[in-house]
Amino acid sequence: MAGLTLGLRLPAGRPRRPRRATGGGWSYTARRLLGAVLVLIGVTVATFLLLHAAPGNPAEQVLGQRATPAQLHALEHQWGLDSSLASQFWRYLKQVVHGDLGTSFVYGKHVTALVGPRIGQTALLVAVAVMFAILITIPLAALAASRRDSIADQAVRGFSVLGLGLPSFWFGIVLIEIFAVNLKLLPVGGYGSGFGAHLESLILPGVTAALAIVPLLIRSLRVGMLEVLDADFVAAARGNGLRESRVLLVHVARNAAVPTVTLLGLNIAYLLGSTVIVENVFALNGVGSLLLQSIQNRDFPTVQGITLLLAAAVVVVNLCTDLLAARLDPRIRLR
Amino acid sequence: MLGLSALLAACGSSSKSGSSSVSSSTSSASGTPKKGGNLVFARSVAPTTLDPANTIIAGDIYTLNQIFEPLFITNPDGTLAPWLAKSFTTSTDHLTWTFALRPGVKFSDGKPLTADDVVFSIKREAANTVGPLSFLDFAIKSVTAKGSSTVVMKLKTPWAPFESDMSVFANAILPANFGGKSEKAFFQSPVGTGAFTLSSWTPDSNLTLKPNPGYWQPGKPYVDSVAINYVTDDNQRVLQVTSGQAQIADSIPPANVASLKSNGAVNVSEFPAWQVDLLVFNEQVAYFKDVHVRRAITYAINRPGLVQAASFGSSKPGGSFFPPSLEYYDAGTPVLAYSVANAKAELAKSAYPHGFSTKLLVSGGDQTYSEFAQIIQSDLAKIGIKVSITTLDHAAFESTFQKYDYDMFIDYAINDISDPDEMASFETDYKSGGSKSYWSSYDNPAVISLVHEAEAEFDTTKRKALYAKIQAQVAQDAPFVALDYPPYIYATSKKVNGFAVNPGGAYRLADVWLD
Repeated sequence: MAGLTLGLRLPAGRPRRPRRATGGGWSYTARRLLGAVLVLIGVTVATFLLLHAAPGNPAEQVLGQRATPAQLHALEHQWGLDSSLASQFWRYLKQVVHGDLGTSFVYGKHVTALVGPRIGQTALLVAVAVMFAILITIPLAALAASRRDSIADQAVRGFSVLGLGLPSFWFGIVLIEIFAVNLKLLPVGGYGSGFGAHLESLILPGVTAALAIVPLLIRSLRVGMLEVLDADFVAAARGNGLRESRVLLVHVARNAAVPTVTLLGLNIAYLLGSTVIVENVFALNGVGSLLLQSIQNRDFPTVQGITLLLAAAVVVVNLCTDLLAARLDPRIRLR
Repeated sequence: MLGLSALLAACGSSSKSGSSSVSSSTSSASGTPKKGGNLVFARSVAPTTLDPANTIIAGDIYTLNQIFEPLFITNPDGTLAPWLAKSFTTSTDHLTWTFALRPGVKFSDGKPLTADDVVFSIKREAANTVGPLSFLDFAIKSVTAKGSSTVVMKLKTPWAPFESDMSVFANAILPANFGGKSEKAFFQSPVGTGAFTLSSWTPDSNLTLKPNPGYWQPGKPYVDSVAINYVTDDNQRVLQVTSGQAQIADSIPPANVASLKSNGAVNVSEFPAWQVDLLVFNEQVAYFKDVHVRRAITYAINRPGLVQAASFGSSKPGGSFFPPSLEYYDAGTPVLAYSVANAKAELAKSAYPHGFSTKLLVSGGDQTYSEFAQIIQSDLAKIGIKVSITTLDHAAFESTFQKYDYDMFIDYAINDISDPDEMASFETDYKSGGSKSYWSSYDNPAVISLVHEAEAEFDTTKRKALYAKIQAQVAQDAPFVALDYPPYIYATSKKVNGFAVNPGGAYRLADVWLD
């Protein structure tokens, strides 16, 4: 975030307070927010330029092969695609500033109205994935760390390497085959109706999405725990007669968690990206599948709107992660 | 094809009698239809709009077909059936067409169908400047109501495909003036004469239909509801049917057909389509301006082998540029059948006897087409033509070939209506067909004049002879290679009865019932 302090000028006469990097300090928060705004502007510009530079004409997509040049021009004019790139961008920027993401070329609806009903589904998918990521990571990392170099440790580490190499859609198909087709415990795909059915139908997609980031988390937490296991306070805890499971899960895991929490936060961005594939494999009609469809249709306003929303979500999550890490480890606040 | 011929023959001057009986489109139905049950349909393309006049997307068409109906429909066997029109007559000069409406038809809001509704709907489509299929209505000069149940259409020119044009979904009948609502509001909760009405809909996602209680075909529809779920992933669609979560799934990949056929709970149906996969040559490129090069390539491509390898035998090897399901297809077309010897001899006659290097453009994401491309690459290597394959995502692919920025490309050509004129003119009429002969720039004035002659020919025997001539000439000129004729492949639960797809890809779920 070098250079992001440029925009922040404190009043001249006011004495600079010592920086309290707890996340609550004015200067820290303001800098982070300014950075966030700049990132979003960058994403907006990049998405706009890339979309317009890519071959493929939205009017051709909507009108089909039999369209005449006159029909294509009529639609391009209706959408404002016949004006200069600069004026299109300026118009788009003005809209966005007013909270208007534009109207979808394909659906004729406001992008916000199109995306709104899907956000819940994608957010719930990410939440379920994060929950599974934590539930899988902590016991496996604790097992590997507590029995260093044992068969169990080797197995967990092997699983991590394997997991990093395999694509998530493949995991998804295997899980469907086992739990939905053979055991008939869970639905093959879709979102079901009612909250219970929603949760049930998000189990397999959640595990699939989680498995994409779990290997990284396990490796990070295992190394962190190994470092902490050698610490004096762990010896003290054991000396006081605490059960090993309590030592591991409470004393060691908590102290080893900071890098893993940071990594998890950063990977939520990755999770959001992978929902595009996971939603597709499991027939979930969330934001990710709409994004994929809209790119294929060259539905510029929808692609731009969703990209902006996802970027905003990533920025917010990263911000929260930094604040949370600072809370878990007071030393960070002083850095 | 008998039905259409009979209709065309009969419509010379007199009204057809007895045509009010609705032919059953339930070719696979067995036993007595049962009422009830909820049908779940897993479909690869989601609906984006329900306005018949403003779409060309399969997800829209196959949905709005359940809600709206045109004056004629196409049966699963490809013949036309009178639908909201009970019968029609034409004047001897073929310029005045008079349609008698089916009595007793009501819209789902209870209002009766009248001639005013038909006038409104056809005029709206004919005047639609951004309608993807409004060109089908180009021949219309005027549409007027005569009383409440007769519609008179005057044409600018004698136009043989007109009855078929009236059967396209884009000419479906809506209530006049959208029943007093705004256009936008109307298509949010559409009112049609079809067997179903809209129950709920999330755009680009799932949609549910409920029966139209006043539907004009007594007893139909049979099911209590239809859920149309949007499932893009091929594997997921297949699994939803095998697991029983859905009862019908569309666009089954040919590679899955064999394993599905061995599944006891599922039927696999392959419905013939008005569709042909083409390898198109760009005649703006010097190599392909040379007819001997085009003929050599046609000889060189092993179409039976290609069909076996890439479509697992589900499609038929190509010959004529008309698919066999299309009216006036001529099985006797003298095609340039696979022969490496003939290919070499033909290339020797060209300006490039020792071959050349060229590029083949394909759309990404289509497994079958990328396999076609690789097979063609290896077939052409045998006669000294070196092919490099370029893959682009579909939207980019379409833009690229429509700008003539290609050497060869693979795409599928379809017919939207039962009359073959649409395909004939779009693929061979360089001047007025709309696409410079499917972007090939093939321009044979003899073929173009035959196409125009057939458009104005009402005698079916003579028309058949004209289309045979066109198919023969195109086969010799080889502006493109008809690679194969792919079917529509569906998987249905064994509980599903009465499901049938016409060669245009459309189906009417009114006839479907569940065991």
